[in-house]
Amino acid sequence: MLPNRSRTSVLVFLLPPLLLYCAAVLFPILQSLFLSFFSWNGISDMEFVGLQNYVRMLTADDVFWRSFFNALLYLAICLVLQLGGALVVASLLTSLRRGRELIKTLYLLPAVISTVAIAFLFVRIYSIDPVGLLNQLLHWVGLGSFERAWLSDVNTVLAAVSAPEGWRFTGLYMLIIYAALIAVPKELEEAAVLDGASKWTLFTKIRFPYIRPVWITTTIMATTYGLRGFDIPYLMTNGGPGQSSELLTTYMYKTAFTSTDFGYASTISVFIVIECLVAVGLILFMLKRKADS
Amino acid sequence: MIAQTAPATHSPAAPPSPAVPKRRRRKPSLYRTLSRVLILLIVIVQVYPLAWLFLTSLRTEQDFATGDPFALPGSLTWDNYARAFETGDLGRNILNSFIVTMGANLLIVLFGMMAAYAIQVLGFRFSRFVRGLFLVGIIVPVQIALVPLFIDYSTVNLLDTYQSMIIPLAGFALPMSIYLFSSFFEYIPRETYEAASLDGAGPYRIFGLITLPLSLNTVVTVVLVNSIFIWNDFIFANTFVLSEDLKTIPLGLQNYIGAMGKVDWTATFAAVCVTITPLLLVFLVLNKAMIQGLESGATKG
Repeated sequence: MLPNRSRTSVLVFLLPPLLLYCAAVLFPILQSLFLSFFSWNGISDMEFVGLQNYVRMLTADDVFWRSFFNALLYLAICLVLQLGGALVVASLLTSLRRGRELIKTLYLLPAVISTVAIAFLFVRIYSIDPVGLLNQLLHWVGLGSFERAWLSDVNTVLAAVSAPEGWRFTGLYMLIIYAALIAVPKELEEAAVLDGASKWTLFTKIRFPYIRPVWITTTIMATTYGLRGFDIPYLMTNGGPGQSSELLTTYMYKTAFTSTDFGYASTISVFIVIECLVAVGLILFMLKRKADS
Repeated sequence: MIAQTAPATHSPAAPPSPAVPKRRRRKPSLYRTLSRVLILLIVIVQVYPLAWLFLTSLRTEQDFATGDPFALPGSLTWDNYARAFETGDLGRNILNSFIVTMGANLLIVLFGMMAAYAIQVLGFRFSRFVRGLFLVGIIVPVQIALVPLFIDYSTVNLLDTYQSMIIPLAGFALPMSIYLFSSFFEYIPRETYEAASLDGAGPYRIFGLITLPLSLNTVVTVVLVNSIFIWNDFIFANTFVLSEDLKTIPLGLQNYIGAMGKVDWTATFAAVCVTITPLLLVFLVLNKAMIQGLESGATKG
C-alpha cells in the first residue's frame, strides 16, 4: 500500500471502473435474476409468477433440454478441437527449429476473422450444390457416400456448426500452451531422457505436470467460451433444422427477441450463468485434485 | 531419441530463428518427418479456407457456380469488388467498427489501469472482495446482459447508439484488463513508489509519472487482444443497433444475404475480404506483439 494514499484517491481510481462494470455486467446479472420470476413481454404490465418459469423450464420444456444437451455436445467438440488440437500442435512445434513464428502466425489467422465471415465461409465449405470443399474432398478420397448437405442433415448439423468455432480459436490456445511448454526447464527433460524415458513418458510425467496450471487456465477459458458460443450456430442455421443445432444461448436469444418473452428468457440466462459457474467449479475440482494425488 | 536435436535440412521458406543455439546433430528420424507432415497438414487446414475465400472473391460468378471448388479461377475479375461496394456501405461499416473499437479500448485501458492501480498499488480494506467481484465477469457469458441491457437502454434512450455497443463490450473486457495490469503492477518494485512518496508525490502524480509510463507495453497487449474481439463483435451490435448508419462490419456483411436468402456469393466474399483487411494488416504487422501478449496473458495465471 502506498503511504500517502487517501480514501478519496482510492475512490477516484476505483469508482469509474466499478460503475461501468456494475452497469454492464453485475447489475444485468441481478436484473436477469429478478426478471426470471416474472412473466413479461416488454409492453404489458409485469406479472409476478414466482418459480413458475423455472418449473416450466425444468419439467415442461423439451426444447430447453434439447438445447442443453446440444450445448454440451457443442462444448465437447470445441474442447477436443481447441485443447486437443492446441496441445498436439504446440508439442509438435517445440520439436521444430525453424519457422515457429511463421507457423504461430498462420495458425492464429482464423482468430482474426469475424464470425459472420466465418459463417459465410463455412456455409460454402459444407454446401452440396454447387459442391463445396468438404464434399469435393470426400469425393476425391473415395468417401463419396459420405457426401451430404451437412447443414440440413439433422445428424450432422450440430457437429458442422461446432467445428468452425473449434477451428477458429485453436490457434489461440496453441499459443498459450506452446508458451508454457517452452518454459519447461530443459534440465528436467534431459535428465529424464538420460534415464531412458520415452517420448510419451517424457510428456506425461514431465511436461504435462509442469504445464498443469496453464492447462487449467486454458481449459477454463475454452469451456467458458464454448458455453457462450452463439454467433456461428445462430448465423449458419439459426438453430435449425428443427432444433437440431439449437444451443441454450440461441434458444435464449430467440425467446427474448423473437417471442419477446423476457421473463422466460431471463430464466434461461440464469441457468446459463449457473451452468458456467458449475463448469468452472468442476474443472478446478477435478484438475486440482488430480494434481494433489 | 530426441527429435529436436536433428539438423534442419529443409523448410527453406521459413526464416531461421536466431535464438536457438546449435545443438548436437543427429539424423532425421521418422518421428521428425511425421511431425513435420502433421504440422504442414494442420497449417493447411487453418489457412487454406482463407486463401480459398480470397480466390473465390476474384472468380466470375459463372465459374463459381459450376466449377470444381478447388480449381484455380479460370479468369480473374475485380467485378465482385465493384458489386460489393454497390450493395453495402462498406466504408461506413468499417468506420463504425473503428469508432466502437477505439471507444471501447479507451475505456478498457484507462479503467482497467485505474482499477488495477487502486487494487494492487493503493490497496484498501475490501480489495480482495472487489477483485473477486471483477473475476465474475471473466466467467459469465455475455448473453446474460442482453435482455436487461435492452430494457435499460430503451428506458434511457440509448438503443441504437455507439454507446450501446461500447458499454457492454468494455464492461465485459474490463476484468481481463484489470487482471493483466495487476499482474504487471506486481513487478514494479515497491521501492520506486516509496521513493516517490518520500519526495512528496501523491497517488495521482505517482499514477501519472510512474505507473502509466511504465505500463505502455501492457497497454499495447490489452489493446491488441481486445481489438480482435471488439472489431468482430456480432451479438451486441446485432441486438442493440438497428439503423444502417451505425452498423458495424459484422452487421454490414449480413446485408449481403438478399431477399429469400439468395446470396451473391462472389460479391459477398469480396466484401468479406475488404472488411477483414484492416484487422488482418494490423495483425500481420504487429503479430509478434500480439502473440507475446496472448501468451503472457494466460501463462501468468
